[in-house]
Amino acid sequence: MAKKPDLLPGTLDMLILKTLTRAPLHGYGIALSIKRLSDDVLTVEEGSLYPALQRLLLQGWVKAEWKMTETNRRARFYTLTAAGRKQLGVELTQFEQMIAAISRVLQDAQEA
Amino acid sequence: MNPVSRFIRKFSMLLGRKRFSSDLAEEMTFHHEQAEKEFLAAGMSPEAARYAAMRQFGNATRLKEKSHEIVGFSFESLMQDVRYALRQLASNPGFTAVITLTLALSIGANSAIFSVIQGVLLKPLPYPHAEKVVRLFLSSAQFPKFPLNPFDFRDLRARNKSFESMAAFTRHDMQLSGNGQPVELSGFAITSGYFRVLGLTPSLGREFDWNAEIPGNGRQVILSDRLWRTRFNATPDIVGRQISLDMLPYTVIGVMPAGTEHPGNDYHAVPYGESVDVWAPFGFEGNPNQRGSHYMEGIGRLKFGVSAEQANAEMNTLMAQIEREHGGSGWSMLVIPLYREIVGANQRMLLVLLGAVGMVLLIACANAANLLLARAAARQREVAVRLALGAPRRRIIRQMLTESLLIALLGGGLGAALAEGGVKALVALLPPGFPRAHDIHVDALVFAFTLLVSILTGVVFGLAPALQASRMDPKRGLYEGSRGSTGSARQQRLRSALVISEVSLACVLLIGAGLMLRSFLNQLNLDPGFRHDHVLTASISLPNANYKSDVDIARFYTRLMDGLRSVPGVESAGAGSDLPWTGYDENAGGFHFEGKTPPRPNEEAHARYHMATPDYFRALGTPLLHGRFLSDADGKDAPAAVVINQAMANRYLPGDDAVGKRFTFEDKPAEKDWIRIVGVVGDVKDKPNSPGAEPAFWFSLPQAANPDMLVVLRTSADPRQLADSLRDQVRRLDPSLAVADVRLMDQVASESVATPRLAFTLVGLFAGLAIVLAAIGTYGVISYSVSQRIPEFGLRLALGAQPATVLRMVLVQAMRLAFCGAAIGLAIALLLARVMRSMVYGVSPTDPATFVSVLAMVIVIALVACYLPARRAAKANPMDALRAD
Repeated sequence: MAKKPDLLPGTLDMLILKTLTRAPLHGYGIALSIKRLSDDVLTVEEGSLYPALQRLLLQGWVKAEWKMTETNRRARFYTLTAAGRKQLGVELTQFEQMIAAISRVLQDAQEA
Repeated sequence: MNPVSRFIRKFSMLLGRKRFSSDLAEEMTFHHEQAEKEFLAAGMSPEAARYAAMRQFGNATRLKEKSHEIVGFSFESLMQDVRYALRQLASNPGFTAVITLTLALSIGANSAIFSVIQGVLLKPLPYPHAEKVVRLFLSSAQFPKFPLNPFDFRDLRARNKSFESMAAFTRHDMQLSGNGQPVELSGFAITSGYFRVLGLTPSLGREFDWNAEIPGNGRQVILSDRLWRTRFNATPDIVGRQISLDMLPYTVIGVMPAGTEHPGNDYHAVPYGESVDVWAPFGFEGNPNQRGSHYMEGIGRLKFGVSAEQANAEMNTLMAQIEREHGGSGWSMLVIPLYREIVGANQRMLLVLLGAVGMVLLIACANAANLLLARAAARQREVAVRLALGAPRRRIIRQMLTESLLIALLGGGLGAALAEGGVKALVALLPPGFPRAHDIHVDALVFAFTLLVSILTGVVFGLAPALQASRMDPKRGLYEGSRGSTGSARQQRLRSALVISEVSLACVLLIGAGLMLRSFLNQLNLDPGFRHDHVLTASISLPNANYKSDVDIARFYTRLMDGLRSVPGVESAGAGSDLPWTGYDENAGGFHFEGKTPPRPNEEAHARYHMATPDYFRALGTPLLHGRFLSDADGKDAPAAVVINQAMANRYLPGDDAVGKRFTFEDKPAEKDWIRIVGVVGDVKDKPNSPGAEPAFWFSLPQAANPDMLVVLRTSADPRQLADSLRDQVRRLDPSLAVADVRLMDQVASESVATPRLAFTLVGLFAGLAIVLAAIGTYGVISYSVSQRIPEFGLRLALGAQPATVLRMVLVQAMRLAFCGAAIGLAIALLLARVMRSMVYGVSPTDPATFVSVLAMVIVIALVACYLPARRAAKANPMDALRAD
């Protein structure tokens, strides 16, 4: 089995928050959504997903409540809070600055 | 993120802990099912789909643990560890008991010694800015600390620029009468400013002023809080009242508060602490130009920014000046900080004891580490399983450390309880008059020390086993565990090293104890020069008001001796100015012998002078070597007669027959100034551990009357029974007199060897504990290694090896440990010889006999420790061994 690329460190929280901007989702839904949107490139390990969700809950960036799914199954749905939306903004800005910085370095390297 | 709201959220999660776990479990089950469904939809068989989902999910336990760690408080997992550790300890009570008890003993011993150190060395002296307070002495090569002359002191006080204030004091006991039984009070005559130097102020009234120093103004007194409460019902109007002291009226001008501690003194010493009851003013009587007598103790408070050394230099200059004005014999001055003066002599002994007890603790640590290592080997499988299940190493180390800390704290708690009792026993063992003995308690600081030591101990002995356990490869651990592990070579080496260090430290302690024992016995067994059994002693002071002349004094004591001789059971009754071994230090100088050239000024003859009644020596059992004892014939008007000791005869009349020789203190003696030696008695040292006896002579009491005498009664029966007869006889002659310090001479003698006895008892105890611990350690290591090698031994025996050969193999292993340990221990003891030198008496700190016997002892103990395992090895059954494999 080919090894899938790891997530950049520190980006998981941002991806989860971003995923939740569209609608509340349960854990499996978040993992699935990240996988689909990234065309199967990014796989979120359950072993890191749930601890990350607990971390976000603790920070108050997401809320969790038990609801029924379309298939009438009880599941825990996570909703973005106002604080979480703000945090996402902060993380996105930081991330874009970093990407821009990295690509400048790479371009410079190519031109040289 | 606000830490407060974060904490609150965490806390609410903690309260809903069950809910959190069930939520997480349900969530994961849901996730699982969804994944399984997807795999099914992709065309997998149900079986394969379930496994794929499980695999994808990974280690569910680990995931849960990680989630818990994020939301949980760290103390929660700590509580888990503690619960687990408690279960482990409870499941192994023998192991827990041995390890806890040994730790409790050694931690308790450490706390007890520490409380002595804390009370005596660490606690600040009970005077404000005590670091500025110094003691002042005269000093010469022969007398390193000599009391001051009052007029010298007055000049020093007037001329110095180093001191904020300076005072002098001298022992001046007084008899209180008129308010119940007469009592002898321990008192001091003090110059003005004495309490100002100490930084203390009276709680009632005031201190003496300059006026009180003028002779005739001195009928004033300051009382201790204790005396004020016990004899005067703490009446607040005591100031201004008159009380009867030494049969004279004195006006109370002040009361010192509770906690007024005597700073100690050398000359007629009174112990440190709240040991003084009255202070009277010192009057500067007599001719200020005669400066031959020295009996004042000096004390001073340094000015800000002046060091003791600077003050000492100034004092030397002033003293030289004074000697130029009045003549003198080349004294220099000695200025010592009060703290050093008080604790100086005991500091080294206490630090040696702390070192000894610290070694015991190290041994106990090594022992505990050893036991834990052995158990870690037995628990390899458990640890391997936990590692395989994904427990992080960090967590394993923490778990093991929690266990060792728990054991250490258990031991510490028990140790604190032991210390409480130990301190009481220790204080009882201390020599009488031990400075600050009353300050020794188990207090908060001692508890803090105990806690700290326990925690350190737990970490020290727990770290090696914990690291060892966590470093294990889980696969190998499971494998080895199942085969009855052979124990890695590294672990065996570590355990051997621990045992060797245990043995070596035990060796050091044994040698210390051996040396202490020998010096104690040396002091106990040396011929004291008198017989202290069957002797009762007591002190009597005749107040000057009622006994004005020498004749009065001599008559009283002669009549008292006559009365006592008639008491049934009394063999002989005498009285003297002092008792042997009590540090008497009254010196007379400047005499010369008839027919010999007078010595040059700086080579003056010196000798201790004493007074005695005729039967004093007989009662003490001091042997007469030549001539005769003093007798009733040596009365006031008879020619002056003295008895001298052997040391005086040897020093000043070597080779001559001393009896019949005469000496005098006068430059141009008249016939009546000559003092005839009538007898020579055996030597008695100042203290049992003094290097030699000082020259001394005894006047006949009527010829040199002394109001304060010590009565000595020798009896064939129990001397205790004579105490009442003695009191009766005194009361018959004068009902206003107090009989003080009624003691057995045996007691006096035993107190004089209290310090070596204390050192020997404690170091002996520690050494005993150490050697038992070392034996347990040796037994543990040998026994463990034998149990690992049982298959090997069985096989050897099956192949025809003699049991004796196997026995020898085990013994050799044990001997190797013992010899290595002993060699290191002896080397350390040699290095420490310098520290020990001042603590031993009559034995070299590298005494070969002690070293050899300790070596022999260690070997014997190692043999005993490995006897059982060796026998087990020799009896190994090859079939059992093979089956076990």
